[in-house]
Amino acid sequence: MSKHMQIKLKVILLATAAATVSFAALPAYSADEMTQERLLNSEKETGNWLHHHKNYSATRFSSLKEINKDNVKNLKVAWTMHLGGVEGGGIWTHGGLEGTPIVENGMMYVTDGWGSVYKIDTHGGKGNLLWKMDPKTDHDWAGAVACCGVDNRGVALWDNFVISHTLDGRLIATDKETGQVKWQKQVADPDKGEVITGAPLIVKNTAITGVAGAEYGIRGWIAATDLGTQKEVWRTHTIPGKGEPGSDTWKDEKNAAAAGGGSTWVTGSYDPATDTVFWGVGNPGPDWDNQYRPGDNLYTDSSLALDAATGKMKFHYQHTPNDPYDYDSVAENVLVDIPGPSGAPQKLALEADRNGFAYAIDRTNGKFLWGLPFVKNVTWTKGLDPESGKPIEYDPKSPVQRYNVSVTPHRENKVADFCPGNMGGKNWPPTAYNPELKLWYIPVIESCNRITVEEATPEKLKPREFWTGGGPSQPVRITGSVTAIDVTKGKIASKLETPFPNLGGMLATPDLVFTGQPSGEVMALDAKSLQKLWEFNTGGGLNAPPVTFSVDGKQYIAILVGLGGAWDKWFIDSTPELKKMQPGSMLYVFAL
Amino acid sequence: MRNRTAITFPLALAFAMMSASLAHAQSSQSSNSADAGKAIFKRANCFGCHKWHGNGGGGYGGDALSLRRTELTRDQIIETVACGRPGTGMPYFARGSYDTTKCHEMSRQDVGDSIPPEGGVFLRGPDIDAVADYVLAHIKGKGEPNYDECVSFFGNTSRVCDIYKAGSASPSKPSAEPAK
Repeated sequence: MSKHMQIKLKVILLATAAATVSFAALPAYSADEMTQERLLNSEKETGNWLHHHKNYSATRFSSLKEINKDNVKNLKVAWTMHLGGVEGGGIWTHGGLEGTPIVENGMMYVTDGWGSVYKIDTHGGKGNLLWKMDPKTDHDWAGAVACCGVDNRGVALWDNFVISHTLDGRLIATDKETGQVKWQKQVADPDKGEVITGAPLIVKNTAITGVAGAEYGIRGWIAATDLGTQKEVWRTHTIPGKGEPGSDTWKDEKNAAAAGGGSTWVTGSYDPATDTVFWGVGNPGPDWDNQYRPGDNLYTDSSLALDAATGKMKFHYQHTPNDPYDYDSVAENVLVDIPGPSGAPQKLALEADRNGFAYAIDRTNGKFLWGLPFVKNVTWTKGLDPESGKPIEYDPKSPVQRYNVSVTPHRENKVADFCPGNMGGKNWPPTAYNPELKLWYIPVIESCNRITVEEATPEKLKPREFWTGGGPSQPVRITGSVTAIDVTKGKIASKLETPFPNLGGMLATPDLVFTGQPSGEVMALDAKSLQKLWEFNTGGGLNAPPVTFSVDGKQYIAILVGLGGAWDKWFIDSTPELKKMQPGSMLYVFAL
Repeated sequence: MRNRTAITFPLALAFAMMSASLAHAQSSQSSNSADAGKAIFKRANCFGCHKWHGNGGGGYGGDALSLRRTELTRDQIIETVACGRPGTGMPYFARGSYDTTKCHEMSRQDVGDSIPPEGGVFLRGPDIDAVADYVLAHIKGKGEPNYDECVSFFGNTSRVCDIYKAGSASPSKPSAEPAK
């Protein structure tokens, strides 16, 4: 067949397919078509959950209040659904569920760890699986270089398509009505140790993608793909190239920057007022041998503000320069406005860092405003400088930082215990923010752990092999908490301690907070006191954040259940009771 | 090493002669065993820590020892698989280790908190022999992992081995250009 013929045939086929789809979907088509207008005004669609983090500000706050603190004790399972994707691959014995469901007009979209997308009709008080799109992820190719589990954190919506990622590095557009893949594009390269676990962020016809792989010697990036043409609009590396601003913060002679890490595997946020994307950057590599990479190692462990149209960096704020602990700053930046001292609103970006400190920066210029420890135990630093927010021991003249030297892992202190442990603090599970109470809820891992340093050398840097300069072990029990911060004061308002680390994240409603435990319990807490008001044991480990939505005029709470991820492979010794939790893949939906 | 029953010289000679005559048969037997051992290496998730190529290495899981550079003998490998390594993450894979069978001459009480984790599956004696034979035949003493070894482990339905082809991407080069 000639190329011309092929193209012609393709056009005809596409046209036919499109016609069929729009005909079948005609009654709801225009209402369900996702536009930038709807994404900007997602809070007006109170019953829907349209963004990964609920809205562009990443507050994960829903104004629905049919379920409230007076009646939450009556919350019951409405329906459940078994999903797939439990199978292993690469170095993993099984997958897990870390996804945030997206809900639009009663239609729910969830993913499993291997990136299959499920469309579920939630009308009528039950779940009806309409289709499943299995991207046939290359299990061994991706699973062998996924540091921290077979994970996929969910989808986004655009036009009439579901936009999703796969662990093996693809961006996929699936027809929302038929479940057929419309197009797909390789955006990350597992041959380089790159995989994708985060959900895409949609801004004005582009899908913004972050990458994982800082434990495998990648050079991190954030990339925007045009959803119409599938062309890459921009790709901003998180480690500067030679001669670029920031490149002088890599002071070695070994070109450490080329494999310097700085992954971006948690979905960011967006401020339409300034057309700015906020995105967190992970640890430098090798993780625990910071002498290999003298200098501050920009832009690792930083929050970035990027121009949404060009990807150009507007500013950055770095939390842990020359990090020797694996203290990623991949966490979402929550964009919050509060009354400022002068009366004019203060525009904050909030970030709860792996290093145990919660930060507020001015999101118009990146200036540090306040920071405080949200964990019970911090040993790596005595605290933050009140002006700069840098750790007090940080010495800008020193190429290698030692912070609190007695607990810091380095070549002369090869076995070191520090707090919080290398998982944090707070890991990827998202925070939530209640704009009425001005309380910010952090899902906390109250932890210490041990790092054994192994000196990195250039010969040890190999494609698709760990590039960590050592490894963690777990001599100390790890617990958790939910910690609420009053952002008007920059102070802890309340804390609910939990027997296990919080590996799932938060949902806020006007007077409640929902979260879960890896031992199986979903719970509702009083939004002010954090007193536990309701609990249900799902019997499976919670490793995903709850969401709420309404359909047929009724409010529901939904959460994916299935422990996977890094914890049950690398950190389980710190929580021995969780060894009995079975792999699983379930969706739970609750209602009054 | 444990003490073994002393063997008298004439008996040893007889053994040696028998061994010589059986050598060929044994080698083909252990090659079959090595092939079976590959399936065990996968089923028992040995490659979860030691990796498909056996080099193990540091990383998030701590240090899994390199089976390519190991100096362990067949008997020692068998003992390590059956009993695990106390005080480390290397699990024990024989049912009853430290309970009905002492391991490293220790009972569960003797080993105390240093007891290694229990393997995800239990392996029977012949399975453990087979996985040891697989390590000896295909991993121990080998140099850098290569494409043929990788494909023989994974088959060719995955892209997992592509980086071992000549001229493939190396992470020491900056990934400046967009992925195709």
